[in-house]
Amino acid sequence: MEGILFWVCGILMVFGGLMMVVQRSAVVSAVWLIFAFVCAAGIFALLSAPFLAVMQILVYAGAIMVLFLFVIMMLQGPVLEGGRKRLALPMWPAVAVPPMAIAVMIIGYVKRHGTTGMGGPAPEGFGSPEHVAELLLGKYLLAFELISIVLLVAIIGALAVGKDERKLPWK
Amino acid sequence: MEITLTHYLLLAMVVFLTGMVGFVVRRNAIVMLMCVELMLSSVNIVFAAYSRFHGNADGHVFVLMNFAVAAAEAAIGLAILVEIYRRRRTVNVDDLKALME
Repeated sequence: MEGILFWVCGILMVFGGLMMVVQRSAVVSAVWLIFAFVCAAGIFALLSAPFLAVMQILVYAGAIMVLFLFVIMMLQGPVLEGGRKRLALPMWPAVAVPPMAIAVMIIGYVKRHGTTGMGGPAPEGFGSPEHVAELLLGKYLLAFELISIVLLVAIIGALAVGKDERKLPWK
Repeated sequence: MEITLTHYLLLAMVVFLTGMVGFVVRRNAIVMLMCVELMLSSVNIVFAAYSRFHGNADGHVFVLMNFAVAAAEAAIGLAILVEIYRRRRTVNVDDLKALME
């Protein structure tokens, strides 16, 4: 059963990613990316991380993609649709070779140090909100507080970039 | 056929490479940002897979941190793109080569 779900979610996620890259319209790309993120949530659920699966849908497929779609909507017009130049022919090796080289390296590494199984069944309550919250607000409390500073800096930065320059307080 | 850690790692690799190729191939800056999000998401899968493999949920905490970083990155990146569009009327990276010349 786990095997079937893994192949379904995994193949659909890769398919969603590929469609995102291939589509010309930015809106259609964004919708395919949401599709890929929902499949990633399925992978999280398979890895007995239900809390992460829910957060993936809420934060990634919800909040972040709404932000993207909102910006695409604001910048709509001929700029976003079509008009994309095809790649110059000599660039194709440059696009294709590095990923293939990385893939060969990783597959070689995995074959050498390959693992069997998933390390036994997950402990009781593994990845539940309680379990994650215990770590997040216990062992990793400092990191949790610091990430809020990262978000604060991001808010200030986005405001500073988006605001009219003449009205900034230090001008 | 049993699903092992290797399967999850290879899935993450394929997704990461998809995002990487997309970042190189696409010329629309918004779509390039979306490709970066896909790459970040594939890293999250590796975190969760190793977490499950070792039966240790520390990786889940880092996935949550990664969510916050991805949200911050998207917010700043899109703010910059909107500002670029206001000034230059384009988000096509072929037209944005002021630093290249």
